[in-house]
Amino acid sequence: MSQSLAKQCNEVKERYDTCFLKWYSEKYLRGAASAESNECTTLFKEYSACLQGALKERGIDKLLDDAREDNKENDATFLGRKKCQMRIPGH
Amino acid sequence: MKVFSNTETFNYSWEEVSTANWRKYCPWNDKSTHVVAVDTISRDVDPATGILRTERLITCRQNAPEILKRMLGGHEETQVLETSYVDPANKTVTMVSANLTYSNLINVQETVIYKPLNAHQTQFTQDAKITALCGGWQRIKNSIEDTLVKRFRENAVKGKEGFEAVLEMSRRVFAEEREREKMMMILDQAPNIRLAHAL
Repeated sequence: MSQSLAKQCNEVKERYDTCFLKWYSEKYLRGAASAESNECTTLFKEYSACLQGALKERGIDKLLDDAREDNKENDATFLGRKKCQMRIPGH
Repeated sequence: MKVFSNTETFNYSWEEVSTANWRKYCPWNDKSTHVVAVDTISRDVDPATGILRTERLITCRQNAPEILKRMLGGHEETQVLETSYVDPANKTVTMVSANLTYSNLINVQETVIYKPLNAHQTQFTQDAKITALCGGWQRIKNSIEDTLVKRFRENAVKGKEGFEAVLEMSRRVFAEEREREKMMMILDQAPNIRLAHAL
C-alpha cells in the first residue's frame, strides 16, 4: 500500500486500506454491501482523526475546502443528481 | 486552455482494474515514484444510487516545471484532490482530479474513466484540461500550458507501465489468497472428516 502524508498515520492507514480492499472486492463489487456502514468504519474514523491534524498543520484543509466547492458540479453529474437550479440574484 | 487525451486498453476485467486502481501507487509500481503519499479523505456509498464516492489526497514530489518554479517559487510537494465515483451497476469508475497546489496560477482538471470493453478487457480514457489563469501575456500562458501537456504525456507512458505491474501482482496475490482460503477450509473440515471416520 501507499504511504500516508503523515508518517504517524501510516500504521492505521495500512490497516484501513487492507480492510477497505477486502470489503470492496468481496462485498461491494458483488452487491453485498450496505450503504450505511461496514466493518471498516471504525478504522476509517481512527485514520481520519490522525490525518486531520496533519492536514491542518500543512494548511491543506483550506485548499481541500476550496477544491470541494469547485467539484460540486462533478458530484451532481456523476452521482446522477443533476437538476435545474434557478438562482435569483440577490436572494 | 490545452487538452491532453489518451486511451489505453488493459487486458484485465473491469473488476480487477477497479480493485487494483486503489493500490495503483504502491511499492509494486516502480514507475510512478513521483507519488509519495495517497490518503483517503472521505468515502461513502450514496444510498440512492449505490455509487461509491471517494476523495483521495495525492501527494507528489516531482520537480515542478521550471517555468512555474520561477514564477511562484518551488513547492517541494504538490497535492492533487482526486474524487472518484464507482458505479457497480453500470461498471464505470470515474475519477476527477484537480490540483491543490499552484491553484491560483493554473487549473488542471483531469478525468479518467475505466469501463469494460468485454469480460476480459477494460478501457482507460484520460482527458486533462490545462488552463493557465494568470493575467498577462498569452505567450507566457501558452508556454505554461505546453509544459504541463508535455509532463502529462511523459507521465502517461510511465503510468500505464506502472499500473500493468500492479495489475499483474494483484492477480497473483488474489490467486494465492484464494488458494490459501481453500486450504484453510480443507484444514477446518479435516477434524470433522476424521470425526466422521471415527464414528
